[in-house]
Amino acid sequence: MDSGLFQARPRETVLRDLMSRVRKGLDGLDDPALLATLEDALYCERKRLERQTPKEHELERLDRLTDALVKGSRRARLDAGMSLVEGWGEEIHGRFDPRLYRFATKALPRALTGLLSAKPDHLRDWDLSPSRRLKVTGPLTQLQQLAKEATLILAPTHLSNLDSPLMGLALYQAGLPPFVYGAGLNLFENSVLGFFMRRLGAYTVDRLKRASLYKEVLKNYSVMCLTTRHHSLFFPGGTRSRSGAIETRVKKGLLGTGLTAWQEMIAAGRKDPEVYVIPLTLSCQLVLEAATLIEDHLAEAGKQRFIISDDEFAQPRRLATFGRRVLDLDSSVVAHFGAPLDVLGRPVSLDPDERREQALRRRGYVCDVNGQVQWDEQRDRLYTDRLAEALVAAWPKGAHVMATHLVAWVGWRSLELAAGQRDPFRLIRIPTPLRRIPETLFRERLARALEAVNAGAAAGRWHTDLPSAASDILAQALDRFGRYHRSRALARQGSDLVVEDPKLCLYYRNRLLFAAPEV
Amino acid sequence: MRVGILGGGRWGQALARLTMAAGHQPFIAYRDRSERPPHLLPSTNHPPEVSEACQLLIVATSASELRQAIRLAKPGPQNRVVVAGRGIEPGTGLWLTQVVEEECDAVRVGALAGPAPVEEILNGGLCAGVAASPYEEVRTQIIEALHSTRYRVYETEDLIGVQLAGAFVPVLAALVGMATSLGGAGVGLHAMVVSRGIEEAARLAKAIGANPATLSGLAGMGDLVAVQGTPSHPNFKAGAALIKGDRTQGPRSVAEALVKLAHDHGTDLPLTESMVEIWHGKDPLEAVQSLMARKATRESG
Repeated sequence: MDSGLFQARPRETVLRDLMSRVRKGLDGLDDPALLATLEDALYCERKRLERQTPKEHELERLDRLTDALVKGSRRARLDAGMSLVEGWGEEIHGRFDPRLYRFATKALPRALTGLLSAKPDHLRDWDLSPSRRLKVTGPLTQLQQLAKEATLILAPTHLSNLDSPLMGLALYQAGLPPFVYGAGLNLFENSVLGFFMRRLGAYTVDRLKRASLYKEVLKNYSVMCLTTRHHSLFFPGGTRSRSGAIETRVKKGLLGTGLTAWQEMIAAGRKDPEVYVIPLTLSCQLVLEAATLIEDHLAEAGKQRFIISDDEFAQPRRLATFGRRVLDLDSSVVAHFGAPLDVLGRPVSLDPDERREQALRRRGYVCDVNGQVQWDEQRDRLYTDRLAEALVAAWPKGAHVMATHLVAWVGWRSLELAAGQRDPFRLIRIPTPLRRIPETLFRERLARALEAVNAGAAAGRWHTDLPSAASDILAQALDRFGRYHRSRALARQGSDLVVEDPKLCLYYRNRLLFAAPEV
Repeated sequence: MRVGILGGGRWGQALARLTMAAGHQPFIAYRDRSERPPHLLPSTNHPPEVSEACQLLIVATSASELRQAIRLAKPGPQNRVVVAGRGIEPGTGLWLTQVVEEECDAVRVGALAGPAPVEEILNGGLCAGVAASPYEEVRTQIIEALHSTRYRVYETEDLIGVQLAGAFVPVLAALVGMATSLGGAGVGLHAMVVSRGIEEAARLAKAIGANPATLSGLAGMGDLVAVQGTPSHPNFKAGAALIKGDRTQGPRSVAEALVKLAHDHGTDLPLTESMVEIWHGKDPLEAVQSLMARKATRESG
């Protein structure tokens, strides 16, 4: 790999650099701002530890910080704050082993494929060819070239905890090098996938740590990854989509680190400073945690759990069942790599000459007439807003409409028409007789929706991954709905189709909100 | 600082004077000989030269000519482009800053609005305007470029609100022109049109996520007061002409774009919609009677 990418750096060096960056940021704060930052860190950490079993060294650090804030000098406060940062830095970088990473990124994707399609009775029959299960689409050849000349940020939609390993597979199948990414601490604690997480380039993100200083440490770590030419993966949505819909809002914290890294590399006179963002849309026939996620979505506003630790993902047997019954099917998952964007969300040309010219001109957004970087946080926040908007616009274009989405859409719309209203909270409770739809009527609606979806696909607004006939789409969707979930979104009963589980129907229907085909 | 001005007409020249009053050097891009500004002002008929030489570009063309001006000048990533025109592009209904972003690579955009009595400014009169941009550096630059003892520049982040005000004022000016020319109408109708016109504009501002208070500022009420004080203003005259049955003048396409925008955001604009109906053939007196016959409602909100 070029430019020292993925070369091992001693743990101590990485941590020292990280500490130095964060220290510089804290040094730049005036006394009231420093006090506010450290008080926020102290408060957030105390609150966190009230809910967890604290470790002795964590308490010691907080006590030291408390003392410094009460009676210490600026220097003492800074040192106490940095002691906290040191602990966080070790946790973030601690699980990342560059040597294991280089080995594992070559060997593990195939093993993971095997795991996800495991047939315990026929171990010798494992089919380890990944392309059958995961379909990868997009301008892959050009992206392979981009990966050689620039640092990439992969920005996928987020449906399931399985997305992280699936991303590893998708990158492998796309012929792209491995990416580093931040994985939630809870994922490392999962008995099955924790094993892969530790080896697939994941650094640790503890989303229970809410202090602004912790977020600064994470951002600095991300900038360090990017400036050392580690391609990185962020889920800009921040968490799994609870509703099942493609994200329409994104978190901008980590996303903005691409812009920072780009400017730092220009300022350092690097020859390869470009950072490009690749939107990736993941489309799945079924989602492992759909039932839990939609429950959470429908929970009273403001009470949604940011981290769900007791869902289907935490149950190895459910995970294995999902792998066997769903992921073992042909093309049950499609990962679409979109057209690359720059760190302002502007399109990046796939033509090398034009791209070089773009790269030179792009510097005008952040440099003065002498080519010196002009740092401006307010401007950079607006640039990152533009990138966020561009991603939200790009994701639906990469979506693949699947049978379960389309049939759930028609099913839910039929509920709305039968009940004469659109309030989802009422619709999930409507009595069974209203959830029955004569199959002939359903097929008519499905045909109309299919026509609209096909027209959108022909216009390049999204993609489809559907059988050509409406009857085959219906059959495929009913088969998929019956494969894994404990209750079915839709099922056939005599000459009717019945929305058996309205919540699941709503979840899969939401995936088509961007297209909203008329029925 | 060198300040680029795209457009060598009277408004471009007035802005150049204000730039000089603030201690800076203007550089005007003009399109052809007929538009060539007085030779004392630095100028060129090769617009890209201005984009190259000046970070800050002020676009002083009409809304309908803005797209072409940007195409000719080709601003780049290094430019800050501030539109000193009337809010919405006729035909497309796009905000003028959106047109700028469509036509070039510049993203740091802003708008300058407010009362703009060009002859007064050229003759050394005192005035004020508002610079709008989400980018702090753009606001800072436009203030530096224009703020002086002759021209006060205020700032706001509400770019959409300022452009909305810029789009509404010509429509309201036409309404005022019509109201003052209607037989038997007096200051009562005039006052009602002005205050209710600003209110409906503010209602639309709220619906599209802009700040309703912007409409009461320099870009809205301030500009409208200036237009009312200028009976020779083309939009004011267009309103008066409507009473006489001449439906060929006035900001019809802008009014139509505003009505569409309002409907898209679930709100209505009774006065503007009535104007559009008159342009489409409705009798002005009948339109006024329909407005007066509407049900009583709250003053604001």
